[in-house]
Amino acid sequence: MTSPFLRRRDLLRLAAGAGAASLLAACAGPGDSTSATGGGSGGGLTGPREGDLSFAHWRAEDKDVFDRIIKDFRSKNSEITVRQDISPSNDYQSTALQKLRGGSVGDAFTAFRGAQFLEVAKAGVWTDLTGQSVVQRYEPALITAGARDGKQLGLPYQLVFNMPLANTDLLTKAGVSAAPKDWDGFLALLEALKGRGVTPIAWPGGDAANAGQLLNVMVVNNAPTDDALGKIETGAAKVTDDWFLTVLKQYQQLRPYFQQGATGTGSDAALALFAQGRAGLLATGSFQVSGVRKLGATFGIDLLAPITTTADRARYEGVFNATFILGVNAKSAEQPAALAWLEHLSDPAVAGVYANGTAQHVTVKGVEYTNPDLKALAPWLTRRTALAPRFQFANLDVRGAVENAAVQVVGGKSPEEAAEAAQKVIDQKR
Amino acid sequence: MTRRTPHTLYLFAVPALALYGGFFLLPAVQGLRYATTDWDGYSATFREVGAANLTDVVSNDDLFRHALTNNLKFLLVVVLGQTALALLLAVLLAARSRGSTLLRALFFLPTVLSSVSVAFIWKFVYDPNFGLANALLDAVGLDRFRSAYLGDEATAILWVAVAQIWFHAGQMMVVYIAGLHQIPEELYDAAKTDGAGRWQQFRHVTWPMVAPATALVVAYTTIQSFKAFDLILGLAGNPPRSSLDVLATRIYATFANSQLGYAAAESIVFMAAIALVTWLQNRAARLAHG
Repeated sequence: MTSPFLRRRDLLRLAAGAGAASLLAACAGPGDSTSATGGGSGGGLTGPREGDLSFAHWRAEDKDVFDRIIKDFRSKNSEITVRQDISPSNDYQSTALQKLRGGSVGDAFTAFRGAQFLEVAKAGVWTDLTGQSVVQRYEPALITAGARDGKQLGLPYQLVFNMPLANTDLLTKAGVSAAPKDWDGFLALLEALKGRGVTPIAWPGGDAANAGQLLNVMVVNNAPTDDALGKIETGAAKVTDDWFLTVLKQYQQLRPYFQQGATGTGSDAALALFAQGRAGLLATGSFQVSGVRKLGATFGIDLLAPITTTADRARYEGVFNATFILGVNAKSAEQPAALAWLEHLSDPAVAGVYANGTAQHVTVKGVEYTNPDLKALAPWLTRRTALAPRFQFANLDVRGAVENAAVQVVGGKSPEEAAEAAQKVIDQKR
Repeated sequence: MTRRTPHTLYLFAVPALALYGGFFLLPAVQGLRYATTDWDGYSATFREVGAANLTDVVSNDDLFRHALTNNLKFLLVVVLGQTALALLLAVLLAARSRGSTLLRALFFLPTVLSSVSVAFIWKFVYDPNFGLANALLDAVGLDRFRSAYLGDEATAILWVAVAQIWFHAGQMMVVYIAGLHQIPEELYDAAKTDGAGRWQQFRHVTWPMVAPATALVVAYTTIQSFKAFDLILGLAGNPPRSSLDVLATRIYATFANSQLGYAAAESIVFMAAIALVTWLQNRAARLAHG
């Protein structure tokens, strides 16, 4: 009996042919035919400013402020809608690039300084903003982190200080009237806080993203050059070098001053310890000031970085970072509308709404800070601060190995042993 | 005379074959192909590296080795702990009474939660300063046993295993209860007549008779242990530090680090590890049952 439509042999031939074609397709080399040299431009930045925009970022805590800004934007650009696509910061670091490449998410987007900025550039997802009038609205010195190969690919929006927050009320009670000028002074400050019965430093050692913030200030004055962490990745420096061993030994000295179980403490718990007045310092950064206030803290807050050397050898008083790099997605079909959104965010009045609403400084020129905490921290805008070195790492495994060495030392491992183990991973991964 | 199947009926298999080919075979072969390159996942160009990725994964990658070791520790603790706890609960709650039904529902409850919720609960339990675990130790005067839990390099993965056991033991209990209900009462009666105590009844009647259920529980738990990706990310953050890293999270971290070729090679070793563990389990099960 035969089928009028298809014989079994034909079907087998068809299946074999399709299978062979699939296998051949699968065996073809990876990659695609599009260029990925960075700064590519899809639909172009000129054209009708209309459409439905996706704005991708990781700051869930800023959602309400952005909602207000979007409402204002809509009143001036009725043809454009803006939707916030928010992912937690660690997930954003890992997955944003793959999502952005599709073009359906993040017509306008943000990126972290360092590894993520570079990866997005390599994938050609930034639209070149060089020459656009919006660039003129920023402090030139603060947006270099968004430039590459002479092109302004993105606009770092937030200006944060990646250094410990200090409860000034507790410091006063502990008899500390001025920030210590050297390492011994810093240890004396911690001892004085301990004497008051509080945890000297709350440190979220269990949260990789925030545990590493302390490394910034521990490194800047100890490092022989400003790009020393970057050199670790290239192999020009090692974590077994004396200067980095000094950093690890100082972590060891800090052990008695962290809260109990510091290596297992998450960000929320460390934040709560500080906000409740149970810790004198919070070793994260100014980006957590608004979180501290949301938990009801009313005490005075300042920034206080440990000076890890003697006073005469200290080159920096602290660390800053220009991040939350705004960009227009080169794969987006809504580039003119995305640029309009960036222009709106870059308006000094709007940037002021963002800054004062989130208690973070911004890189936009002419912003008036009315938030009391921002006013209190404003002197840091002109002090000797270094660009946060932690973001010099482009390889996340290398960064993880270096930061994990510090966590291991706080957990009880010897600095030499932790450094050896980290260097082995670095040699394997770089 | 036999009736032959009309050949057009073979066409009904085409959609399933197409789906299988498109979504399983094709990616699997592509994975093998990518494993021989240094492709970053998005560039138009790449380099052929031959077997270098696989060689590195196997012999020159401490992060992968840590992840494999953690995964095996996790697997061992979860398989033993979860199987034992599930069997214990099943034996205690096998009777059909209102109380046992209520308790079964209670122990089954964690299974219906999402991994993210479970991670959130256990993060609260393990927090060294505000967490339930240390608070309980303080309350009963055992504060010398306070721990950093997930921050303790040596034991962190074991604490995740405890969370995993809590998460799924209730589900496995149900499998065991179904197995226990299949055992004929006469076997227990005969054992009692022969003077067997409760332990001997368990050893000589219950345990051999629930062997099929045990095989199912062990196989399922093994698969769950390799798939504990979301629970670990929820508890340990993304990427987890090496003391909490397992193979699935390591591969994900490599992928996120724009090393797709290397991640594909890690996936191949991952699959080989699963195949080896499964084979060893089958061998052990055969030996155990003569």
